[in-house]
Amino acid sequence: MRVSLTRACRFYTSPITPKPSFFSPRAILNQPFSSSSSSSSHSSTPKPKTPLFLKPPKYSATLSDLKKWHNWAKALASSVRSTFADSDNGPDSSILFRELNWLVEDSLEDPSLIPQLGFQNNSQSVRLRIGLDELYGLWKQRIEKRKPFQYLVGCEHWRDLVLSVEEGVFIPRPETELMVDLVSDVLVRDNDGLRDGFWVDLGTGSGAIAIGIARVLGSKGSIIAVDLNPLAAAVAAFNAQRYGLQDIIEIRQGSWFGKLKDVEGKLSGVVSNPPYIPSDDISGLQAEVGKHEPRLALDGGVDGLDYLLHLCNGTASMLKPGGFFAFEVPISSFLVEVEFTFSFKPHKYHVVEIPFICTSSGSFLKTNGEKQCKFLKNYLENDSACSFCNVSIVSDFAGIQRFVTGFRQ
Amino acid sequence: MALAAQFLLRIPQLGRKNINFPSYKHRGNYQPLFLSCNYSTNDNCSSTSSSKKKNYLELTDDELLRECEMDTYKSSGPGGQHRNKRESAVRLKHVPTGVIAQAAEDRSQHKNRASALSRLRTLLALKVRSSVNLDAYSPPPQLLQILPPKSTIRSSEVGPQIGPNNPKFALGMQALLDLIFAVEGSVSEAAKLLGLSTGALSRLILSDDSLRMAVNEFRTSKGMKPLK
Repeated sequence: MRVSLTRACRFYTSPITPKPSFFSPRAILNQPFSSSSSSSSHSSTPKPKTPLFLKPPKYSATLSDLKKWHNWAKALASSVRSTFADSDNGPDSSILFRELNWLVEDSLEDPSLIPQLGFQNNSQSVRLRIGLDELYGLWKQRIEKRKPFQYLVGCEHWRDLVLSVEEGVFIPRPETELMVDLVSDVLVRDNDGLRDGFWVDLGTGSGAIAIGIARVLGSKGSIIAVDLNPLAAAVAAFNAQRYGLQDIIEIRQGSWFGKLKDVEGKLSGVVSNPPYIPSDDISGLQAEVGKHEPRLALDGGVDGLDYLLHLCNGTASMLKPGGFFAFEVPISSFLVEVEFTFSFKPHKYHVVEIPFICTSSGSFLKTNGEKQCKFLKNYLENDSACSFCNVSIVSDFAGIQRFVTGFRQ
Repeated sequence: MALAAQFLLRIPQLGRKNINFPSYKHRGNYQPLFLSCNYSTNDNCSSTSSSKKKNYLELTDDELLRECEMDTYKSSGPGGQHRNKRESAVRLKHVPTGVIAQAAEDRSQHKNRASALSRLRTLLALKVRSSVNLDAYSPPPQLLQILPPKSTIRSSEVGPQIGPNNPKFALGMQALLDLIFAVEGSVSEAAKLLGLSTGALSRLILSDDSLRMAVNEFRTSKGMKPLK
């Protein structure tokens, strides 16, 4: 695969030298990948793997053998105690036990048999979606290699969906569930026909946000889900199809706004959960994330804000007037200290609405250093004050500032 | 809701910090919180007194959630992309009343949140009492909805009888418990006011476990025999 650095220069409006580590070796394909495109014949479209719970139950084992495995797996989980938690804030044994239960649930054809695992020496046979020896292998990988649970079972439960995920695809986070509610709330008050327009989910990964939003759009609404990673594009398409949304969600493989020229200025909404972790922080994350999830989906550059900056700079021209945007942001990147004489209206999800004005006195609270303040300053002075209105910072249920939303004027 | 003219708005980490709740047992002896609401059950609970005296069950999901603290994370930290630790169990504490509801059975936090909220509504119905004007008692519409059609005061405009699985049942249950408390636990007295035979009201109370337990606890506290 060719790593194309010339494309990299197009991304950034500020002179940031892209590091080779930005680009996952498997990520770069210059071919358009769209469910409606027939041109790219020589690009190998990755085939998404079937999640465990959808696999046919063509294996079997006796209950006592299964019980033996279960006891072994429990003991292994138990031996972890708090070692993972202490070393990198990973899971402790109680979380691993819960994951083990879910693994059994997805493996058994008939999960109602789970209570019967307690009976010894039961030679009754049960049907499984995975071979018993593979089950040993999977759990070993979980504990020894810290392979994420979701990659073991090939899926993640998110909102009221079950989404296929696999190694190479970012696992949707529970915090992001709120994104769909933010959009849904906007559509309830919708006076600009947003619900029937074009929406875009940038960096869709498994397609989570796109699918969540597709289900709350109006009957004429549609959403374009973009991802640079062709594997993610394939998995997102698979997930969209599973929910019967293939006519509402169009998958485009490409980089950010690069493949969206045809809808420039016409979008009703732009949403994204872009990579926002500072490059140097990745190795310090819990191993499930730092060592197993695709770096492409995590690495936001030196200060974590490269892509957010790019999105803020590009979104204004993509949205139609009155269009909405919502981005998930890293903690403490948007702490701002300003002077206002406006009314403060406590909103749901602990939102603070800030009507931005050009003359904000801007004494910025420095959090992770000057880069983030500079980002905010640039944003306010060059872009937002004239382009955006009703910019809000929305906290999640844990009270952590999680999203920035707003409207195109 | 304008605040004073000029202020320095520092946007803090809004919302609440993580709080460790001890394991909460809500079965057994509870002290019902008695809000002396004193609003007539005739109007739509639009109380003329302070905004504190309101019917929590009439709030939308979002409004109710806003009054709660949600405890899902045992550890602090940024969450989001940084983290893959599935603690999908949700515990909601309704701050104004202190009532706690939780749900852990689903793999999705979103679904557990919805379950916890629905459980919270039930608990609020069971625990939060309002006073009732017996002299000019007129059952509110939400109570009429849970009564069987044979009730003589129930007109056909009320619609079909709704059961415990209906999300509106909690509202009716709350109003019924308000009445039962007001008549000191006497099912026969309450039945008269609802246009039902004592037996019919008894059967309604017994049709839902939490309703039955709430009524029986109260009756026991008044020295009466529990309904069977």
